[in-house]
Amino acid sequence: MAEGELLIRNGVVYDPINGVKGEKKDICIRDGKVVESVTNPKVIDAEGRVVMPGGVDIHSHIAGGKVNAGRLFRPEDGRKGVKARTKVCRQESGYSVPNTFATGYRYARMGYTFVMEAAMPPLAARHTHEELVDIPILDNAALPLLDNNWMTMEYVKSGDTDLLAAYIAWMIKATKGYSVKVVNPGGTEAWAWAKNCDLNDEVPYFDVTPAEIVKNLAVANEKFEMPHSIHVHGNMLGHPGNYEVTTSTYDLVKGIKPYRDRPAMHATHTQFHSYGGTTWGNFESKAGAIADYINKNEHVSIDLGSIILGDTTTMTADGPMEYSLYQITGRKWTNHDVELETGTGITPFLYSGKSPVNTIQWAIGQELALLVKDPWKLALTTDHPNAGPFIGYPIIISMLMSKKRRDESAEDMHKVIFDRAEYCSIDREYDLNEIAIITRGMAAKTLGLHEHGKGHLGIGADGDVAIYDMSPEETDAGKIQKAFLNTKYTIKGGEVVVKDGEVVATPAGKTYFVTPECDEKLTDEMLVKLKDKFEHYYSVSFNNYPVQDAYVPNPYEIKAPWRS
Amino acid sequence: MQTIKLKLKEEVTRGVAKIPVEVDSLTPDKLAGKTEAEIKAVKVWWGNKEENTGDLFDVSVEGEAGSAEEVKIVLEGDLSRVKHIGDGMKAGEIEALGDVDMHCGAMMSGGKITVKGAADCWAGREMHGGELVIEGDAGDNLCAMYRGEMTGMTGGKVTVGGNTGECVAQNMAGGEIEIKGNAYILTGLNMKGGKITIEGDAVMPGADMTGGAITVKGNVRDMIPSFRLEGTESIEGEEYKKYTGDLAMTEKKAKGVLYVK
Repeated sequence: MAEGELLIRNGVVYDPINGVKGEKKDICIRDGKVVESVTNPKVIDAEGRVVMPGGVDIHSHIAGGKVNAGRLFRPEDGRKGVKARTKVCRQESGYSVPNTFATGYRYARMGYTFVMEAAMPPLAARHTHEELVDIPILDNAALPLLDNNWMTMEYVKSGDTDLLAAYIAWMIKATKGYSVKVVNPGGTEAWAWAKNCDLNDEVPYFDVTPAEIVKNLAVANEKFEMPHSIHVHGNMLGHPGNYEVTTSTYDLVKGIKPYRDRPAMHATHTQFHSYGGTTWGNFESKAGAIADYINKNEHVSIDLGSIILGDTTTMTADGPMEYSLYQITGRKWTNHDVELETGTGITPFLYSGKSPVNTIQWAIGQELALLVKDPWKLALTTDHPNAGPFIGYPIIISMLMSKKRRDESAEDMHKVIFDRAEYCSIDREYDLNEIAIITRGMAAKTLGLHEHGKGHLGIGADGDVAIYDMSPEETDAGKIQKAFLNTKYTIKGGEVVVKDGEVVATPAGKTYFVTPECDEKLTDEMLVKLKDKFEHYYSVSFNNYPVQDAYVPNPYEIKAPWRS
Repeated sequence: MQTIKLKLKEEVTRGVAKIPVEVDSLTPDKLAGKTEAEIKAVKVWWGNKEENTGDLFDVSVEGEAGSAEEVKIVLEGDLSRVKHIGDGMKAGEIEALGDVDMHCGAMMSGGKITVKGAADCWAGREMHGGELVIEGDAGDNLCAMYRGEMTGMTGGKVTVGGNTGECVAQNMAGGEIEIKGNAYILTGLNMKGGKITIEGDAVMPGADMTGGAITVKGNVRDMIPSFRLEGTESIEGEEYKKYTGDLAMTEKKAKGVLYVK
């Protein structure tokens, strides 16, 4: 947070959370917060330029064990994107797995000021936080993986959601996490038995189904005043014909009443879950079916996981999926088991416009955005780096805003795009207000961060502002892409961090974490079981497990009381 | 024709540390059309400092050149700590009078480099075209890929007068390598295409190969067991056993050929 006053004059402001749709207005910031007026400010002239709140990314893999493993086993990725240090910045390197500095600078240059690390193995929480601290500028948070966890599955089996709630509360607190992350529920545990799980298969040994895990975690999560819902990467990711598994997963939380006005489930990287066909041979887009479900229902929000063509590094806690991918490509692959909790797989992947399957995947990501009518139900992501690096967001933005660009791009893709996807028949074009929703407003609201000053520019909000070097009337897709890649200014907490596309200051970001408050008696009962697990199965001791405060030097705590 | 003589000043590599000099900015295509004064001002890395070429080398220019093809660079002095000679060069000629350090001729796509001594590791790394002649020995990873990349050398010709080190031509996909001496362990590792001829002996050649051909005229030590004998073939009047492999990469992919006496 910067002390002093700042006035951003005459910008064309898009602030969807406050219903501001391209109005010419001034923004006043004092001591890092948006205020009514200022007296003696530094002035930034934004005359005629597009002004938005700082971007909020709802789902991206930027820190932790698997990101680091990805860097280690892809030295060739580190050859790309090399930029020498400057007086302000440290050296940048990497493309799909950029170093921590590049991660911060590149997001900031695109006008983003908050990023959610989407999968934190609880046992690796310390590593994740250490790496988040190393990422400059960005405010951040992390979602602990709690679905393939032995404790979780045992409580799901016994049907005791109160104790399950006590457990997830303790884990979110212990890891300084933000909400419950679910990745291939049951499937990652089954992978330790060389198996995978469909939604209603039994998880080996534990006798519960993925469907039961998801439902119980959703119920347990809503027992607290949690800012965010459960965050779900469903079963059968990346398998042809998985769209029915996806909608069945959505159905699981129908009827669960969320704590506040948000869905009871956020389903992530939906592109990977919207596949038709039965084999890779007759693979087709089912984005229409998924969008139809989202349009008719209010209990699920999604993010895109849109494809960026080119080489990337896939990494997920979905171990069996990574193994299938490795079987297809024959490229290098690494796999990791996180005792009692989860796992990881990593393999590089090339998305090619010449491949029919990749072409359809590419189309699906954008089709979802174009077919879901209400932009408040979806966020722009590439599931960085799984569908492509975050640095590709401006490409997707320009595609959504320009039918002309989509038509031109489709010509370069495999011809299946014309008959196995709806892509070319969709005429919709996003306007800047809708872009502001899917890149900031929706994510901030779904994460509950709008109540903590993120994703909008109302009085009292954080002074996080992105000024794009483009006029609101711009229709040239190339110019739109260029403007969204490098801002004219990015302002973080009232401090100019990017000017004319160059990083000029690198303040440390804050880490947001949630403290669910659980009944003590319930917690004590749960701890008896948990301590037994530590004693018999964990390689670390119970007392050494929780992340100490020192690992989160810039904390922002959100309390989540028990809902009576 | 133009000849640019660059003699490394003695004091540059004096001292215990022998700080290396990186000269990928001194290729015929980058120096063509430059005056002596301009060449002296070209930046090269010396350790972690960027210096003027004229501060590290004695520079002399003879003749004129209309294009890079007509430029010949002659490197003299103690070159054992001079790295990236001809790295990325596209045309013209470089002659290095002595042993050179790592990455000589890496990423080159045209022209010719002659090393009148030995070359350290990574010579001809990811070479696309042109010719590289090393009169002495070559180190490890000659003509290989950069760490982690899928493809090594894809084109051009490399001749080594002496012996070569480990993992020569790893992930090679095209081009030709001729080794007059012995090739050490795992030459042609993961090779996908191209041709390697070894006049001397080789250790475990062709492991994990899926394409291309390796001919060993001397003895093979520790032959990879997952190669299949297909019969004999005559090359330049001599009888060779022809093997295909590496079957460890599955029957379908085992399209590599290994000729052994």
